[in-house]
Amino acid sequence: MKKFTFGWDHGVTIFLVLTVVLGGFISEYFATIDNLSFVIQDIAEIAIIALAMSYLIIAGEIDLSVASILSLSSATIGFLFRNGTSFEMAIVGGLIVGLLCGLLNGYLVTVIGLPSLAVTIGTLALFRGLCYALLGNEPVNELPENWIVLGYENIPGTFLPWSTIPLVILAAIAWIVLHYTRIGRWTFAIGINAEAAKFSGIPVARMKLGLFAMTGLMSGVAGVVYTLRFASASPDGAVGYELGVIAAVLFGGVSIAGGIGTLWGVLAAVFALGAIRSVLQLIDFSANALLIVSGALLLISVVVPRAIEIAQSRRKSTFVTNK
Amino acid sequence: MQKKFASVAAAVAIVGALVASSVAPANAAVPGIKTGLKIAIMPKAVNIGYFTAWNKGAQTACKEIGAKCTYVGPTEATGPAQVQFINKIIQQKYDVLVISAADQNAIVPSLRKAKAAGITVVTSDADVAAASASARVVSVLPAASARIGTAEVDWIAEAVGKKGSIAVLSAAATAANQNAWIAAMGPYLTSKYPDMKWVGGTVDKSVFYGDDDATKSTAQFAAILSQYPDVAGIISPTTVGVLAAAIEKKAKNAKVKVTGLGLPSQMAPYIEDGTVEKVGLWNPIDLGYVAVYAAARAKSKSFTGKVGSSFKAGKKTYKVTAGGIAYLGDPFTFTKANIATFKKIY
Amino acid sequence: MKNLIQKTLKVREIPVFLGLLIVVLITGTANPAFFTLSGFQDITLGVAVVATLAVAQTLVIVMKHIDLSVGSTIGFSAYLIGDASSKGHGFWYCMALALGLGLVVGAVNGYLVAYLKLPSLVVTLATLYIVRGLFNEIAGGNTITEDMVPKAINFMGLNTFFGIPYLFLVAVILMLVVGFIMKRLRPARDLYAIGSNLAAAELVGIPVARRVFLAFLATGAVSGLAGAVLLARFNTAAANSGNGLELSVVAACVVGGVAIAGGIGTVYGAVIGAVLLQAITMALGALGVPQFWQLTVNGILLIAAISLDRYLSTRVKPTSIMGTN
Repeated sequence: MKKFTFGWDHGVTIFLVLTVVLGGFISEYFATIDNLSFVIQDIAEIAIIALAMSYLIIAGEIDLSVASILSLSSATIGFLFRNGTSFEMAIVGGLIVGLLCGLLNGYLVTVIGLPSLAVTIGTLALFRGLCYALLGNEPVNELPENWIVLGYENIPGTFLPWSTIPLVILAAIAWIVLHYTRIGRWTFAIGINAEAAKFSGIPVARMKLGLFAMTGLMSGVAGVVYTLRFASASPDGAVGYELGVIAAVLFGGVSIAGGIGTLWGVLAAVFALGAIRSVLQLIDFSANALLIVSGALLLISVVVPRAIEIAQSRRKSTFVTNK
Repeated sequence: MQKKFASVAAAVAIVGALVASSVAPANAAVPGIKTGLKIAIMPKAVNIGYFTAWNKGAQTACKEIGAKCTYVGPTEATGPAQVQFINKIIQQKYDVLVISAADQNAIVPSLRKAKAAGITVVTSDADVAAASASARVVSVLPAASARIGTAEVDWIAEAVGKKGSIAVLSAAATAANQNAWIAAMGPYLTSKYPDMKWVGGTVDKSVFYGDDDATKSTAQFAAILSQYPDVAGIISPTTVGVLAAAIEKKAKNAKVKVTGLGLPSQMAPYIEDGTVEKVGLWNPIDLGYVAVYAAARAKSKSFTGKVGSSFKAGKKTYKVTAGGIAYLGDPFTFTKANIATFKKIY
Repeated sequence: MKNLIQKTLKVREIPVFLGLLIVVLITGTANPAFFTLSGFQDITLGVAVVATLAVAQTLVIVMKHIDLSVGSTIGFSAYLIGDASSKGHGFWYCMALALGLGLVVGAVNGYLVAYLKLPSLVVTLATLYIVRGLFNEIAGGNTITEDMVPKAINFMGLNTFFGIPYLFLVAVILMLVVGFIMKRLRPARDLYAIGSNLAAAELVGIPVARRVFLAFLATGAVSGLAGAVLLARFNTAAANSGNGLELSVVAACVVGGVAIAGGIGTVYGAVIGAVLLQAITMALGALGVPQFWQLTVNGILLIAAISLDRYLSTRVKPTSIMGTN
């Protein structure tokens, strides 16, 4: 039996529960079925990308180009559909483009050996530029009705939006793989010490390439969800989402230094951030205050664990603990 | 045309001034409008001066009709950011939403949800795509796209002496309003002014995008000058762009003529010192004012929004034209002669 | 002096500088307007803001840290200067306000990173949001217009010193001063030691926390004061001023050979990197690259520049976000 230790992910979970409960008390509009549907819809793209980004940051890398990949995938779908491809094939095209973008990032990092923080600032511009190259100043808006209802309607008979399905499936897979398989263990090992991981026989470069490719593909999936939700494809879609994704992953307890994190924490964080934004909006906080709260939560996510750590080490050094 | 604009401007300026300064009693009833409506006024983004003025007019109308108006919106002018706030409006069971569409497509599904929830939606300042017109009751826009586009061509033609090549410094590449106005500029310049041409050959190739960002707009202004040193005039159909262009023209002491759509309060120094001869703009205060009336009347069932129907806002009556759009009227123009008055209003 | 310049340029700045020359030569040949005085002024004036911030950012990047909050700080500061000036306060009062804001943001960043040992990427991402939120709350829909800009700042933005824009001179002087300090003064040289090997730096007795704190404080102070440069350059400021500048600044540093992995790079490189990126942006237009392709080409060249630097440097392959541990 594994010993239970209280981690940041449990903290975030409690935060989530508190937000929901308190939110229900302070705003009559918050804890409703409709609002839950809105919140899920609102966080779906960020959540899907965050699943893959968690792996990447745990492995000690980062990808700032995810929002541009999302948008490029969406732009590809729009471009193909406008030029006569069936919508189904256009979606496949969008996913392939996402995967290719991820592979390019992975190639530049693992084969050329560039630092991911720097190189993905470059691909952020490159992929966004390709969105404009594809669509110019003409967004695509007349998408097939039978598809776009998936973007904004709920699964019949439930209060869950359709985007819940890919989200739940992908989250389940990502969770199992990260915490119960060899690939997951390798991801942590690489993040803790890449050199040591290499010497112990882990194919570090191939793993990283795979993780970047997966992040690209997940951004592509998010691009599909995004296209359906907004019933359109535009070259300027999802601008700035990368910071939202990274903020969620870090708030979820994944260490930017690599090697630490749980998928549960990240998912709880994505939902908590969505919930708190919804509560604050419903009690008429200004949009400016929302920015301040986002920043403050991000700070809390690093300050609190650190403060606990410092407090514990002080107690250990000055008192004899009775444990 | 010049004179017509001037007289219209003078007439409506008085109305504008009245609208801006009138303080109506809180619960004054207006015939045909229910009192106590809960109205959301949503700009593309808060923290933009133009929309602050727009909201000013909306709030004035709200006082007159005894409604409770809230100015609410995102800090970034994107569709997805607006959608979060539309959802909030739906949750909080507002009666009416008056919105300037930051994205002509992305907010459409949410607007349809709002409609299904019983909220009366009116777009103002920026409409949704024509194909999605059924997502709102009516759109209250400044003036027909063709009128705004061709008027700006007339202004630049006057400034450059009807000859020379022209470029456009626009907002974002996806800005629907600007794209519609620019589309109207192309053929008009070719047919009306034979001695004028677009720097890039066609209007499409002569547009530079400053993304409504002072930094990018300034860089694009410089790019136009370095790419086309003999450019005679620049039209900037956006308040951020034309301000950046005026500042940069003055800084570089450039010979190029600048005109476009600008807020008189921001453009005043450059019109007063002669950097820019003339800019134009409708009164955003009036625009917000009229939109609230249209929405409140639609909610109160005293106005249907159908093509051909009409509604009264203040002292004026507005008629709904093709596409479900009511127009405010031609833009005013601001020159040295009248800038002193207008800069105090908006 | 000559010796000093040779030494500093020898290693990493040469490739960027050559890149700059190539871009300028190709563009100038294709479009002679690029070679004129006004072409020169376009680039130097256009780069002033990013170059100034890149000098400050170099201080933190060589320590293997990063400061993402600079875009929010500079925008807020530009607004505060204009706002204070319009209320009748004098130039020095405005500058003190700008410096004060920069010091506060820098001190918060510095304290959290240096003394609480929190990751700078997270801390400065958080302060990016917080400062922007406060800025938006205070600015609302107001726009600073030229008549609200202090006379001295307005003059700096509009005029040149023998053809060289004053704002570029400000960036160059800042570069020379910081460059000299980082070369000659022990505390500043310690930043390189901290960035290349933290454990060793602690072992040899460098007061790491104090150095890191001061570097963030300095970066904050420069970002605050640079609000004046931003205001001088654009003569306007509003709630979105400075939005997204942080990525341009980091890109300029990286292209200029200031390694994200820490420990190497100079302010000279950072400024040349900024000039190169600016020259590329201007060149794309001058060469007639269609609008809708410019960002793509820009991205490719950025990646190419980073790759070239990687190829020419003899460093080991980076293995984490910020490069080698």
